[in-house]
This record gives sequence, C-alpha cells and structure tokens, in this order.
Amino acid sequence: MKQALLAGAMLILALAPTVAQDQASAIPADIGARVAEGFAAPSLTAFSATANELRTEIGGLCDRPEPARLSKVREAFVPLVAAWGRASMLRFGPLQEENRFERIFFWPDARGVTLRQVEALLAEGDAAVLEPGALAAKSVAVQGLPALEFALFGTGSDTLADGEGSFRCRYALAVAANVEAVAGAIAQAWRPGTAFRTAFVSPSSASDPYRSAEEVAGEIVKAIGTGLQFTRNAELLPALGESIAKARGKRAPFWRSDTTFVLVSAQIEGLKTFAEAAGFAASSSPDVRDAVASLLFDLDHAISTLAEVATPPAEAFGTASDRDRLAYVGVALEGANHTLGENLAAALGLRMGFNALDGD
Amino acid sequence: MRSTEIDRRTFLALAGVAALAPAQAARAAEEALFLGARLNAGKFEAAVIDERGRDRLVLPLEARGHSFAIDRANSRAVAFARSPGRFAVAFSLNGATEPVAIAAAPGRHFFGHGIFTPDGRLMIATENDYEAANGVMGVYDATNGFRRIGEFPTDGIGPHEVLLLNDGKTLCVANGGIQTHPDFERVKLNIAMMEPSLAYVDIASGEVVEKVKLVPELHQLSIRHMALDARGKVWFGCQYEGAAGDEPPLVGRHRRGSAIELFSGPTAILRAMRNYVGSVAVDASGSILGTSSPQGGVVVFWDTATGDCLGSRLLADGCGIAPSDAREMIVTSGRGAIVKADPAHMTTVLRENPAAPAWDNHLRRI
Repeated sequence: MKQALLAGAMLILALAPTVAQDQASAIPADIGARVAEGFAAPSLTAFSATANELRTEIGGLCDRPEPARLSKVREAFVPLVAAWGRASMLRFGPLQEENRFERIFFWPDARGVTLRQVEALLAEGDAAVLEPGALAAKSVAVQGLPALEFALFGTGSDTLADGEGSFRCRYALAVAANVEAVAGAIAQAWRPGTAFRTAFVSPSSASDPYRSAEEVAGEIVKAIGTGLQFTRNAELLPALGESIAKARGKRAPFWRSDTTFVLVSAQIEGLKTFAEAAGFAASSSPDVRDAVASLLFDLDHAISTLAEVATPPAEAFGTASDRDRLAYVGVALEGANHTLGENLAAALGLRMGFNALDGD
Repeated sequence: MRSTEIDRRTFLALAGVAALAPAQAARAAEEALFLGARLNAGKFEAAVIDERGRDRLVLPLEARGHSFAIDRANSRAVAFARSPGRFAVAFSLNGATEPVAIAAAPGRHFFGHGIFTPDGRLMIATENDYEAANGVMGVYDATNGFRRIGEFPTDGIGPHEVLLLNDGKTLCVANGGIQTHPDFERVKLNIAMMEPSLAYVDIASGEVVEKVKLVPELHQLSIRHMALDARGKVWFGCQYEGAAGDEPPLVGRHRRGSAIELFSGPTAILRAMRNYVGSVAVDASGSILGTSSPQGGVVVFWDTATGDCLGSRLLADGCGIAPSDAREMIVTSGRGAIVKADPAHMTTVLRENPAAPAWDNHLRRI
C-alpha cells in the first residue's frame, strides 16, 4: 500500500508552467488539436451515440415490456459502458466542470450511496423525479451509470420484463436520458469555437485554462496519470483486497452487469488512443519515444491479461488464477504510471512540482 | 495490523536518528529557526534549519511528511505524515530526548496538521474517521507518551489545518469538505457535494461553539490553511475544486460572530494563483499575510488590516512559508530554493538546485 501511495503521489502532481527551453520542441506544437480530433471527438461521439441507443431501447421496453426487449436493453448497456470507459479518460475541462464526471459515474462509492438512494427512490415511486431534467437536480448517485446499472440488472430488475416494473423502467429511461444529455454537453464544450477548445488547441497568454502548449501537454500527461491511477486504485484494488481472503468482487464497478472488465479494458484502450493521438510516438526526442513505447507496452500487456480473465467480476477477484491476472494488471498500470511521471514528463521537459499537489 | 507494521517501520526509521543529527543541535530560543518536511536524496525527513538554510536537526521519516504541532514551552514538536497519514513522530527540537512514534488509531488517519495546548499537556490532531466520513480531532496526552485519550467531531468532512486561538482554549478547524478514504488513496470522493466550513471548538468540552460556511455558490472552495493576524482574526487560504476558469477568491478572513470576508486581489495575480493556495503565514508584526501558490509559482502578500493585496513574488514550486521578521517571510520550494520575501523584494538564501532537498508544503517557525 505504501508503494502505491508514493506512486499515487507522483501522479497527482500538477505541472508547473515553466518548461526547460531546449526541450520545448519535444512537445508537438499541435498536441491539443491532435488530441481533440484524434481522441476526444471520436470518443465523445461514441459515448453520445451509445447513450442514445440505450435510451431508445429502454423507451421501447417501457412501452411494451417483454423479456426479449429487456435482453436487448441489457445488451445495449455494454457498449455504453465501453464508450464511457474511453471517454472517461478525458477527466479535465468539460468532463470535470459542473460535476459531469460524477453525474455520469459516481465512483468510488465506498459507502454504497447509490444502492441506498436508488432503492429508496424506487420504493417511493415519486413521478416528479421522472420529469424531463428533474434528475439533474437530484443527488449525483441517482442520475448516472451505476444507478442505471442497478435499475437494469439489480435486485428486482426482472420486473422490467412484465410491466410490474413500470416505474423502474421509466426511472431507467430518465437516467439514460440524463446520461445522454450530459454526454451531449461535454461533446458540445469540445466543439470548435468554444472557449475551452480554443485554449486547448490554440493556447495563448490570454486564454484560459491553458496559456501555452506546455500547459496543454501537462494537462494531457496529468489526465493519463489520473486515468491510470483511478482505474487501478479506485476500481481494481478495492475489490482485490490485501489477500485472497479479503477479495470482494462486489466492490468493483458494474459487477452486476458483468461489465467490470469491459469498463477497465476500455479505459486502458482509451489511454492508449489518447497517448497515440497526442503524437508522443512521433516526437523528435528519442527519450519521449522510448518513454511512450514503454508506457504502451505496459498498457498492451494489461489489456491482453485482462482478456484472459475467465470468471465474472463478482468471483474473479477471489479466484486464484484470475486474481493473479488482475493483480498483474494493477502492477502494469502502476508501471505505466511510473514511466509517465518519471520518464515521459521529464523527456517532454515538463517540470513536476513537488508541492503543487491537489488536496493539501 | 497495518498500524503495528507502520509503527515498526517508523521505529526502524528512527533508529538512525542520533547519527543523522548534526552535532550542533537546535538550541537558542532567540535564534530564528524553522521546521519543515522534505525529500532529501530519495529519503523523507523533517528538518530544523536556521535563517541561512543550514541544517540544525534532521529526523528521518518513513514516508512523506506534511506539517507539525509545536510545543515551544517544552522545545518539542510532532511531525505528521501527509494524508492519508498512518504515523506521527514526536521529537525534541534540541535533540535531547528520543523520538516517540505515534501510530494512527484504528479506523483513523492523520490529515497532517495539529497543535499543542499552551501548557504542553495535550496534542490535538486533525484526523479522518473514514468509514463514517466524519472529521475528528484526536486528543493525545503529551505528558504520557502521547497516548490517545479521546476525540471529538469537527462537524465537517476533511478537517485540514487547525489553529489555537489567542484565548488558549478554542480551536479553529478548517473543514476542507473533501471526503477521502484510504482504500482509494487520495481520490476525492464527494466533489459534487462539498460543504467546507470553519468550525470553532472548545477544547474543554469538545463542543463546536461556532461554525461558518461559504455561500452555496462557493461550496467547492475548500478551506484548508490558516493563520492568525495581530488582531486575532483568522485568515485562510483555499483550493478550488470547481472549473478552472471560475477563478473565485482564494483568501479569506473571519472573526467570530461575523460573516466570512473574501479577498480576490487584482485579476492578474488571482489568475497567477491557479485556484490554489498551498500554505499561509502571518509576519512577525501580524500586519501582513503571505499566501503561497505552488501551482502558479507565486507568493502573494496581503494587508491584514484592509485585505488589500500588497504585491506578489515569483518562486517556482514555492510553498513552505513562515514569518522571518516584521513584514518579511521565509519561503521554501520543492526545487530546493529558500528565499526571504516581502511585498516588494525577494532575496535568495539558497538557489534552486536539483541536488538540494525538495521542501514540502509547510514551513513552521519554531
């Protein structure tokens, strides 16, 4: 745990705005545009599209509840989780503003707030929460994907197939609509012409929040680090526990829908695409190329190991062979994080601030 | 289990302490000495330095340190681990006695700040009751091996710095409002629902006697660090968890019985602070507040009588700040620099140097 803590500390490091002059060329001048077009735009388009598809399927189920339609709804949840996994790696700017990340994915939820609040909401059956836009003003725990997962896969969700779960179905529809609306707002804020996009793509001393290409590169490195750390520390390690006896698969996100590893795999894929889009691999600096090659190597191994996990998430963390695989994924993510903070940032000429840490 | 293991590691770290302490230990009370945590050649330490940046005492720490509780009457201090801290170490500022390791209580971790009561009998630390997601003050008997004798709630989440008011019996606690749980290391769990506050606690009864919050629009402005001015008013610095473009005021003042006042300063300086204050200090005269913003590499000075911004000085990754004289601060950086600064001047004590110790968030005057 202590090692993890130190690695974590490296990663939340904010980046000081100063950059060693001779290394400025290691940063592609169009890094912001590359990421906006090569990663943000396709990821956010897919996220909006899959949210729209799920909402449409749920609408059909609510109109005509039957088992086949419930199956289709549950199937449509999977690509949405995958699309979210990729898009969730853009945890800065539009996704961070107005609590959008938490509104889509209130996680970690160590105290089980989602389950408690969603069960209470379903038991109450107050139709006012189903009004368009009403959920957006409610607790973040009842308006995102974990809440939607419980509605579609949790205890009592089979009633969705026979009309008995009519309120539950309309609640799921409202959550899906909320996720779609938040996804749309994020995509909108990333479109050309917005203040954020302008600062990200063409930073200048007068633009906010980025004032130079180095700051944009710093945000990108930091976001990749945040993604690595969040996936490992908030999604995998709590379920893994300190020993096999302490493994608790039900602490992993989306275990009910068996999409835990769909999420994690998509997040790591997303980080790969993110790093590739940034153009680090084509950098003029061999140190940058070496560092990013090492980073991508760890990510590839994490993805292929994850694909070998044979049991569902509720059991995998406590099943010896799969547990080893998941532990390895954690190690690979930690290694990637180390490469990022120690090697890539330095090769890019980004100075890590020892004190510029969030939270103290 | 965990705390026992940490305890053992701390003792091991401390085993070499005598060898590392320079022959000239911290001594004369009239001399200006400062205490800070740092990373030195890959090792975490707490160090007492003089005004010229020379080491007077070095204490190894098993992990990254944060701030200190100081008992001037008995010439000792407690170094706290950085949040989520599992250990603290009590030590003698003149190297006279052996350090004492203090493990966090089961279900609690340290946030990194604490105080001694003026008589030196109690040490009180901000702690996280993480399963319940409640802030508490842990109370330790400083006359009896720092045995933990109780705790009281801070009526908020994520208490960070704590001050003792001039009456000697009331604490002011900055409930930063950010929920964390050690299972998730430093991940922030409740950014959407933060409610930071200042809570005043009567030490004798453990009761919260007054609590003030920011206006709802500023609920993501985490109040974290504090200092008292010449009039006994509480000054505080914040870090903002909302959108980067918002640029809310980061510095505030409070007097019991009144509302919180916030001060923005000029737009250019506010922008340079990057929505983040890492440490605050009031000068020896009590008339100037210094706030450090390591993310922006800037130290900003404020008039404690009016709240006017008096100016700013640049110091890359500068964070540790303590009063060195009337109207003057000593500031340390994560890049090894030590400077003295006032609103209009800055003189270098030690230059930035990659081989020098990287100073951590806080510097305290002993």
